[in-house]
Amino acid sequence: MQTEATPAQADVSELDLVRRCQAGDTEAFDELVTRYRTRVFSMIYNMVHSEQDAWDLAQDSFFKAWKSIQRFRGQSSFYTWIYRIVMNVTIDWLRKKHVKGGGTEFDDAIQLKHVDPASKTVPKTEALPFEMMQRGEIRARIEKAIAQLSPEHRAVILMKEIEGMQYNEIAEALGCSIGTVMSRLFYARKKLQNLLRDVYENI
Amino acid sequence: MKTFEEKWTAWVDGQLAGRELAEFEDSLPDKAAAEAEKADAMKLRQLLKQELGARTLENEDFFSYQLRQMIAQESSDLARDRRVKSGTWWTIPRLLWTSTASLAVFLLCTMLVMRDRHPAEESQYLTQILNARVDPVVSPNATVSIFEVKQDRVTVLWTEGLQSLPADYAAK
Repeated sequence: MQTEATPAQADVSELDLVRRCQAGDTEAFDELVTRYRTRVFSMIYNMVHSEQDAWDLAQDSFFKAWKSIQRFRGQSSFYTWIYRIVMNVTIDWLRKKHVKGGGTEFDDAIQLKHVDPASKTVPKTEALPFEMMQRGEIRARIEKAIAQLSPEHRAVILMKEIEGMQYNEIAEALGCSIGTVMSRLFYARKKLQNLLRDVYENI
Repeated sequence: MKTFEEKWTAWVDGQLAGRELAEFEDSLPDKAAAEAEKADAMKLRQLLKQELGARTLENEDFFSYQLRQMIAQESSDLARDRRVKSGTWWTIPRLLWTSTASLAVFLLCTMLVMRDRHPAEESQYLTQILNARVDPVVSPNATVSIFEVKQDRVTVLWTEGLQSLPADYAAK
């Protein structure tokens, strides 16, 4: 299994890889995909809560990146640039699906479908069934809470808290101002704190 | 000028420093409650990282393979489009050019045909022939027949039994 490169490794030849992609080198693009596919998939999954949809949207995002690689000027990192594509694709998809932050998408059936006790967050060999079930429930609670945020608020909180991106990087990825990012972060955090307080207080 | 939300977010993330930090903390009505909120935000971050940060992509290689296939398909489609574009003679400009040329040729032919439909005046010889009369006294058994083929622009005067040609009948 190939693993993603560390940021330091990525910085060394990322621009070179991009230049080769711009010259039509698909192997260079493959290398970039290998570096970022897990992070991109993970980010999208946390936005849409469906493995299949996340897979399709990640593929769509990389495919769009390939088609528009000529427009990459190197003013930001490739990661920030592809995140912009990822966010456009995902938010667009969410809007089309009318998944809005009212919590209506999570009826019991959907909630059960999204509980994935065997996901890789729990090492199978070490976790007890009860712990796995508990983790699955926690995860389902988090996903349910995130689903109640608007696509833009979801994007901001995930990029900040999971990806550890800076405000300016998030702003660039979402095509908005830093002030808007900070404001969205404020409301997203408040909402999640209200919805998940009992979860993080009991861990 | 930052809004309260922006300042609060910066404060939670440890992005406020110096005078800005002091001013913000002084402006908080209940600093203890604010600190508790900040601690909550940290716990939330921890929870999200712990639960959502570890998702992996299954079948990574298949993911890349599928993407390569999409790119290869797109490249071959593009190449085919380019070939079709350069291979066909009937491009839109060429179609326009051909239509214009055909129309011009048609108009030219029409003009020529129409001009032929209105032939020039009859020749003086034909006029002379048509106006000629045989003197019955001089040539009582004379007969005169005229055959005309208009499309060939030919007129034949057939005479029999003439004793002599009328004086005004000679071609000038």
